[in-house]
Amino acid sequence: MTIDPSGSSTLVLGIGNTLLGDEGVGVAVIDHLHAKGGLPADVDLLDGGTGSMVLLEPMRKVRRMILVDATADGSPPGTFQRLVPRFCTDFPPSLTAHDIGLRDLLDTFYLLGETPEVVLYAISIRFPQEIYFGLSAEVEAAVPIVAERIRQELYEA
Amino acid sequence: MSNRIVIDPVTRIEGHLRIEAVVENGVVKDAFSAGTMVRGIEKILKGRDPRDAWAFTERVCGVCTTVHALASCRCVEDALGITVPKNAELVRNLMFCAQYVQDHVVHFYHLHALDWVDVVSMLKADPVATSKLAQSLSPWPKSNPGHFAAVQQRLKKFVESGQLGIFANGYWGNKAYKLPPEVNLLAVSHYLDALEWQKEIVKIHTIFGGKNPHPNYLVGGVPCSFNLEEVNAINTERLDFVGSLIKDAIEFVEQVYIPDLLAIASFYKDWGAIGGGLQNYLAYGDLPTRGYNDPSSFLLPRGAILNRNLNEIHEVNGKDLNEIKEYISHSWYQYGGGDGVGLHPFKGETEFNYTGPKPPYEHLDVEGKYSWLKTPRWKDHAMEVGPLSRMLVAYAKGNTDVKELVGVVLKKLDVPITALFSTLGRTAARGVETQVVAHWMKGFYDDLISNLKNGERRTFNSSRWEPATWPATAEGVGMTEAPRGALAHWISIKDRAIDNYQLVVPSTWNASPRDAKGQRSAYEEALIGTPVSNVEQPLEILRTIHSFDPCIACAVHVYDPDGKQVHQVQFY
Repeated sequence: MTIDPSGSSTLVLGIGNTLLGDEGVGVAVIDHLHAKGGLPADVDLLDGGTGSMVLLEPMRKVRRMILVDATADGSPPGTFQRLVPRFCTDFPPSLTAHDIGLRDLLDTFYLLGETPEVVLYAISIRFPQEIYFGLSAEVEAAVPIVAERIRQELYEA
Repeated sequence: MSNRIVIDPVTRIEGHLRIEAVVENGVVKDAFSAGTMVRGIEKILKGRDPRDAWAFTERVCGVCTTVHALASCRCVEDALGITVPKNAELVRNLMFCAQYVQDHVVHFYHLHALDWVDVVSMLKADPVATSKLAQSLSPWPKSNPGHFAAVQQRLKKFVESGQLGIFANGYWGNKAYKLPPEVNLLAVSHYLDALEWQKEIVKIHTIFGGKNPHPNYLVGGVPCSFNLEEVNAINTERLDFVGSLIKDAIEFVEQVYIPDLLAIASFYKDWGAIGGGLQNYLAYGDLPTRGYNDPSSFLLPRGAILNRNLNEIHEVNGKDLNEIKEYISHSWYQYGGGDGVGLHPFKGETEFNYTGPKPPYEHLDVEGKYSWLKTPRWKDHAMEVGPLSRMLVAYAKGNTDVKELVGVVLKKLDVPITALFSTLGRTAARGVETQVVAHWMKGFYDDLISNLKNGERRTFNSSRWEPATWPATAEGVGMTEAPRGALAHWISIKDRAIDNYQLVVPSTWNASPRDAKGQRSAYEEALIGTPVSNVEQPLEILRTIHSFDPCIACAVHVYDPDGKQVHQVQFY
């Protein structure tokens, strides 16, 4: 396992703005997976932060991508869904604050002729978020649960 | 009868921007620009270690992360009197140039080109004729008929899948699109090539910054360990790779971007007289060659131009309390000393005071407060910032690289120098800057290599690293140029912690609301007089707004649960 993508077959990419409280939950999941360690050797973890087009490069090298991001879909904060999106319209509402967003990024990615497996873990957060650093208790509680689900998925394949 | 057009959010930008424009007889008569979500990074930073500020500020945006980190390091260094070693200056310049070249190319192809290029029309193009055209413009190798036919097929499949994705929301078929199908195909083909290329150039950030996105910076230098023979350091192999990325960048800019820019612009020369807006231009400048404290050594010079008078460049001082001030007469904030005053960032306050309508709403109350952006002014003048401002200041200061290339572009397009003061001029200036900066990047690279070969490996000045060496209070300003314009951070340090921290970002200069005197800022002013042939499809408004390369993410923050384009037209 590495935190710096280097041509492994699976990329776990957490996206979010850590300055917007729970919006940064995707990054928190990556940090958790990294701290716990013990992932298969061919898995890369990437804190995608608010990165947009620069993420195309690490994305293009892999066979499978697991994305982790926040959604403001109205569900209780800290609940999450596992989705297999194909088009931008398959995404849940607002994965933003990084507005040339994940949706556009993924569509651009497909436009380049790429066809990896894409799985999205979307964690619900309250809307709108205050400007602060760190997670709320409900969303914090979801981090180890989502991380564990991802870990299982990484060993299943 | 007039129409009021609302575009909210403006898409193909980073961040969230709302434009309300009043159109009368097919021309914009008035305009209002609003950042509709709040910024508050200053509140997060108060009380923290000044040496950590860069890591927070670079998270405000995914596009210009490096420049926020740079401005942050510089303001702390300025406050504490730290000078960075020569190699650190060179590495910072290299990262700066890589950011510019990548960001400007992405802006042109992926955010702005679709205002001029009709993607759907491209399906009608003849690949053989496109190939002939491409070969007449440039030696770029991917110009054979088979390549263009394949691109056309790929896009056709994409469009036919019914999932237009990034091409959704386009005003395809609008008669304001003037390019022949072949030029459209050429541009879309290079849209894809640019995507492939841009993911390579940013590896420069990964090599020098250790990771991407959000590469590492360091107060006092750069976090790079150079050793030409050492496997775990930045060694000869890594540096050779950087060299080849720079070579590819120059080639891409010269053989693809600039020829396309000129080819497309030649069909839209009328836009050389539209969208000029403000007559004042501000550049903080960057790319020091003899240290940040010597602005006369900057390759991108510092200065201000008033009333388009290129014969007089005014000096700019970020620390003078009478020069840069932020007003909030039309912004959802409150100042302790009253809302009518302007505050220099050292005295800056960030107290929210939302008085706007409860969303969803039809219109903003433009007589009162209507934006989350404050309104910055330089000596109380409204200023435009960005590539056009930088190129005008460089041109007026006699920079030979800039003067020469501006001359070539004006001659090729056969337009007068006054055409620079326009939407087209803004877009052309960005291209000129990209080519000049790509070559400067090669110069910085050569200097770095020669330093390293001479045994100079220092990248960090540790003399003021320990807080025990700091004074009880200190103030500093870190000025730089984000790709989209003048950016500065102001810091006040007290008892070794951040006491106040203010950012004035480029899109605040350009996208802000009116000031207390009613003077419009750059977007609002530039829209006046813009023709709108079809109010249902305000393509022309997008052309002018996109020509500034809006990036509102650091100006405001984004919370838009639907992400849908609200485009309303009101008649009254």
